Amino acid sequence: MHAIAIHGGAGAAPRASLSAEREARYRAGLAAALDAGYAILEQGGTSLDAVTLAVRMLEDDPMFNAGHGAALTREGAAELDAAIMDGRNMRAGAVASVRHVKNPVQLARHVMEKSRHVLLVGPGAEEFALEEGLALVPNSYFRTTERIEQLAFEQRGEHVSDIVPPTRGTVGAVARDAAGNLAAATSTGGMTNKRPGRVGDSPIIGAGTYAKNGVCAVSATGHGEYFIRAVAAHHVCAAVEYRNLALEEAVRELLHEILRKLGGDGGLIAVDQAGRLVMDFSTEGMFRGARDSNGRRDIAIY
Amino acid sequence: MSRRSLPAILCLALLPCAWGAAPPPLAGPPPIAIAIHGGAGVVEPSKMTPDQEASYRSGLAAALDAGYAILERGGSSLDAVTTAVRMMEDDPQFNAGRGAVLDQDGDAELDAAIMDGQGPKAGAVAAVRHVKNPIDLARMVMEHSPHVLMIGDGAEEFALEQGVILVPRGYFRTPRRIAELEEARQLHNARGGTPGSGTVGAVALDRAGNLAAATSTGGLTNKHRGRVGDSPIIGAGTYANNQSCAVSGTGDGEYFIRQVLAYDICAQVAYKKVPLSQAVYEEIHTKLQAAGGEGGVIAIDPSGQIVMDFNSIGMFRGARDEHGRREIAMYRDR
Repeated sequence: MHAIAIHGGAGAAPRASLSAEREARYRAGLAAALDAGYAILEQGGTSLDAVTLAVRMLEDDPMFNAGHGAALTREGAAELDAAIMDGRNMRAGAVASVRHVKNPVQLARHVMEKSRHVLLVGPGAEEFALEEGLALVPNSYFRTTERIEQLAFEQRGEHVSDIVPPTRGTVGAVARDAAGNLAAATSTGGMTNKRPGRVGDSPIIGAGTYAKNGVCAVSATGHGEYFIRAVAAHHVCAAVEYRNLALEEAVRELLHEILRKLGGDGGLIAVDQAGRLVMDFSTEGMFRGARDSNGRRDIAIY
Repeated sequence: MSRRSLPAILCLALLPCAWGAAPPPLAGPPPIAIAIHGGAGVVEPSKMTPDQEASYRSGLAAALDAGYAILERGGSSLDAVTTAVRMMEDDPQFNAGRGAVLDQDGDAELDAAIMDGQGPKAGAVAAVRHVKNPIDLARMVMEHSPHVLMIGDGAEEFALEQGVILVPRGYFRTPRRIAELEEARQLHNARGGTPGSGTVGAVALDRAGNLAAATSTGGLTNKHRGRVGDSPIIGAGTYANNQSCAVSGTGDGEYFIRQVLAYDICAQVAYKKVPLSQAVYEEIHTKLQAAGGEGGVIAIDPSGQIVMDFNSIGMFRGARDEHGRREIAMYRDR
């Protein structure tokens, strides 16, 4: 049994405002990442490699808010966060506020595999990237015309800095490989017009990203501050492990009871030890895809 | 009967002569209590001079009593943990604020977090280099921004916007830490780092029944620039929730992050309905031990029960409650 789920962010544009052409581009991007990740599992590869590749492809796709095409800070720069966790040994790696790393999820994986640390941030994380032989790219690599326009739109609005903007297209993946290992990865540019230095839930192990063999793997997207306070990803797994809740029920309770009560919305994808995939959200939509060795293959937005 | 009135009644029945503190009134408000730590990376007992020991003890006592005094006056657990942590940040003996350990560049790079069990709400900062009291900035993030975590230059920009006066990096450096860095540089390569010596933290329960936790640290000596440990990570080194418990951790941060250690303790209390002491024991002596990590936590539950436990040589710590408990300790037995 092997299975993978991916997301391209919750809080999708209202159905009416999404053109057929853009919808097709989103779907194509999701399908490419999903199938590439699945192919790794199919060839007997690890869940870790599958989620890394799926997230890298979504980072490279300018439609999604991660890597190339990430949302911009109030100063017009991309500032990127990512995390990865290997449920086999519960090792984890994460980076936050990097500005010149083409694929933050890859750097997060280097942190996990080549350093004794879990989280590296800012210029120190970029120094580590150079030590690891990763080439840095100029910040302009990440900025697309569309994100520049979104930022301008946001800044013409009533609030300039501290409102919750519509762009929340974090990307992520969770997978279970044939050997039974779980993995999760998440990458994001954060909120449009965010204050530089603001870090959301994506690179926080236990909040936006978590994986533990025998229990579950989770990648979240949404209003990050609420996901941090709720320790969302670990909460789901703790509910499965300590209360024997079905994964679906644990996810439902988190999104529709706990986070709703706190006032935060978003979504998440999760996989349990049996390879069961759950994708749920409290927003209007969530870009997502799921594929498993029982023949399931879904791409959906609403 | 409310869950909180039971311990109050037990206290009346069993501990009528507890010194120094009036027993709480029948079915009255929850008992106040505070615990602090000054890190699990303590000096080996054989290397601790009596002068050093006395000095550490007085630093811990000052922070403990200041935090407790706030609770005693009816202040909030949030104010109590903020004050206790700020005092230890200002005390150069501890690895937080002034006297924090130095990174590979010879600078202090500071992390802190605070969490209010009511809400819950949280604020944290990481990798700041010019903020005298990172715990105060973490609290500003919680109270004056919609965010939870701010890092690096952006966090310092926020500090300036909040009217915080930044200090030069030299403020944090002490001769002792400079010497420790030199020693570490000779022992380790640039990617190394000697295990933590003295993160600080506090947890408290106030009269209104609110729990709070706060943690502040300089991290590891000779650490890689930008390395962030568990202290500012909500759920890893710091967590508070009125429904379950409040925790502040110290130790091998990477292990605490992977284990989501602080939250996992509270999740066990809330979901497995185990006593706090058992959840802490499981977390430190089973899970952390098995993973190969070292460290400890202080924790408190809604009944005011304090647990302080560690699997390292020792942990600088202190606890005080209104049943008359007041202790300062460093090792298992003293």
